[in-house]
Amino acid sequence: MYAIEALSLSKRFGNIQALSQVDFTVNEGETFGFLGPNGAGKTTTIRILTGISAPTQGSARIFGRDIVRDTIAARRQMGIVHETSNIYTDLSAWQNLMFTAELYNVGKKEREKRGAELLELFGLTERRDDKTNGFSKGMKRRLTLAMGLINHPRLLFLDEPTSGLDVQSNLIIRDVISELNKTGVTVFLTTHNIEEANLACDRVAIINRGHIAAIDSPERLKNTIQSVQSIEVAFDPVSLVRVEDLEQIPSVSEVRKQGDKFRLITEDPPGVLEEIMEYSRNHNVRVISVTTLGPSLEDVFIRLTGLDIRTKGVKAID
Amino acid sequence: MTELGEHCDQVCTELHAAWAIAKKDIIIYYLKPNIIVSGMLFPIFMFLAFAIGRPEVPAVMIPGLIAITILFSASSIEPVSIPIERRMKTFDRLLSAPISLHTVVLGESMSGFLYSLGIAFVPLIAGLILFPTPIVGFAALIAGLVLTSFCFATMGTLFAAYPTESPGDIMSMLNLVRLPLIFVSGVLIPLEQIPQIGQYIAYFSPLTYGNDLIQAAFAGDTHFNPAIDVVMLLLFILIFQFVANRLYKKYND
Ligand SMILES: Nc1ncnc2c1ncn2[C@@H]1O[C@H](COP(=O)(O)OP(=O)(O)O)[C@@H](O)[C@H]1O
Ligand SMILES: [Mg+2]
Repeated sequence: MYAIEALSLSKRFGNIQALSQVDFTVNEGETFGFLGPNGAGKTTTIRILTGISAPTQGSARIFGRDIVRDTIAARRQMGIVHETSNIYTDLSAWQNLMFTAELYNVGKKEREKRGAELLELFGLTERRDDKTNGFSKGMKRRLTLAMGLINHPRLLFLDEPTSGLDVQSNLIIRDVISELNKTGVTVFLTTHNIEEANLACDRVAIINRGHIAAIDSPERLKNTIQSVQSIEVAFDPVSLVRVEDLEQIPSVSEVRKQGDKFRLITEDPPGVLEEIMEYSRNHNVRVISVTTLGPSLEDVFIRLTGLDIRTKGVKAID
Repeated sequence: MTELGEHCDQVCTELHAAWAIAKKDIIIYYLKPNIIVSGMLFPIFMFLAFAIGRPEVPAVMIPGLIAITILFSASSIEPVSIPIERRMKTFDRLLSAPISLHTVVLGESMSGFLYSLGIAFVPLIAGLILFPTPIVGFAALIAGLVLTSFCFATMGTLFAAYPTESPGDIMSMLNLVRLPLIFVSGVLIPLEQIPQIGQYIAYFSPLTYGNDLIQAAFAGDTHFNPAIDVVMLLLFILIFQFVANRLYKKYND
């Protein structure tokens, strides 16, 4: 049985087609990523899969249960971490957890035990009885995650779990996701962060403007565009090097400046390497490091969606 | 037997969840100053403003005062709490929980219901202490307090279905209904004294029946048999509950 089956889901809001015939399945125990820029339809998909909003067309099943017809039974298996950290800021961390547990019919003894474990896991034990309005963004996010896990879900939905967070919260959350995966929990996460999808997910669906562009494991997605290779090179002094000059090198299709390094996309890395050495002699700069790279998930994303990630709110590194 | 057991399980689960929803509003809202002002002080001041300088014995006015207090206090929580929950996105938690939408509506109404039951004791006790207001029908009193409170709490939840993130929007719509209601329901002006058209409208006002039932408890002027009042209030509760459920479903997308 699949944890999630989405069958040709479409969703219209007035004249905005938010989703078009979205089809995919998620296996039990898998960490499945939904990767796409802002407005791609990620949250809309989660709202349909969790039964908050009904699809205009198509259907979805959660562990075999139709989400529209058998909503409550389907929801009992899930934990949901919404895009915004939606906690009650007039309640304490503990009251928030206990309230969620009661909504999910978790017995008193069990919810108190689980609540204490989760506060510990997310580093919130000391703030247990504090009202959450004083919490930092990262703490609120961690509490939201704890609330999503209070009912021991078999399937966890995470809508952009780490977007815009501090490093510490980010690390805790990524750790928890990988731990959950080891205990057999299915995770469906959306992200606009390519590196997160690459690191956390067994399979990734790339979604753009409501259409799924590809679904596969990160490695296989990279293999589909094996022709895109690149050379990363650092010069000293970097100030003497101009992107326009590097773009003149034959067989370089694109140059991206990344920090103090340049990334040259090419189908012929050895040929380009010779040209770079030649360039460094002519311009009196020293090559201080060279790395040849296979295609990244970022390259796949750009190839499949035609989007330039720097302008469309997709981040390579968060 | 197991099927019955399972059915009971689901009902118990839903009721438990409704109570959890009510409890959170009780913790968050009961002590908020603006709720106390709009739920308790406002109806009492308004009533006093109307009552001052009138010849009636104050005792006669106690049932009406109770009815108005219930109208305003019962519908003072959800119209504030639900738009704020929308803004904070906590409302999505309720909408995505493994419970029926009816339970969400019921749970939200419960906090307003309990609040106004409590507040109604202020004019009730004041009446008993300050004026000779004998209670002749305890059953009518309890039914009147409970059903009227529940009815207007559900009405508050119904109005809060309007998809806005600002409590002011809902409060102004609600006042458009609540203020006229007190003039056509026989609370401040006896039904016989209002124009014919107003009397027809009174039949469609739950406040008419709530006030009538509480009047019966105090041996005041009544227009209907208390049993009719009870049936009508129950009918309004059901209508409000179902319409609220439909509206929340419709505006969810
Ligand atoms: N309730 C709504 N009403 C109208 N349009 C909406 C609504 N929700 C989402 N949309 C539109 O649907 C598209 C997808 O949105 P969303 O699923 O939130 O994207 P993402 O989560 O990938 O950033 C966007 O164009 C958005 O403006
Ligand atoms: Mg989103």
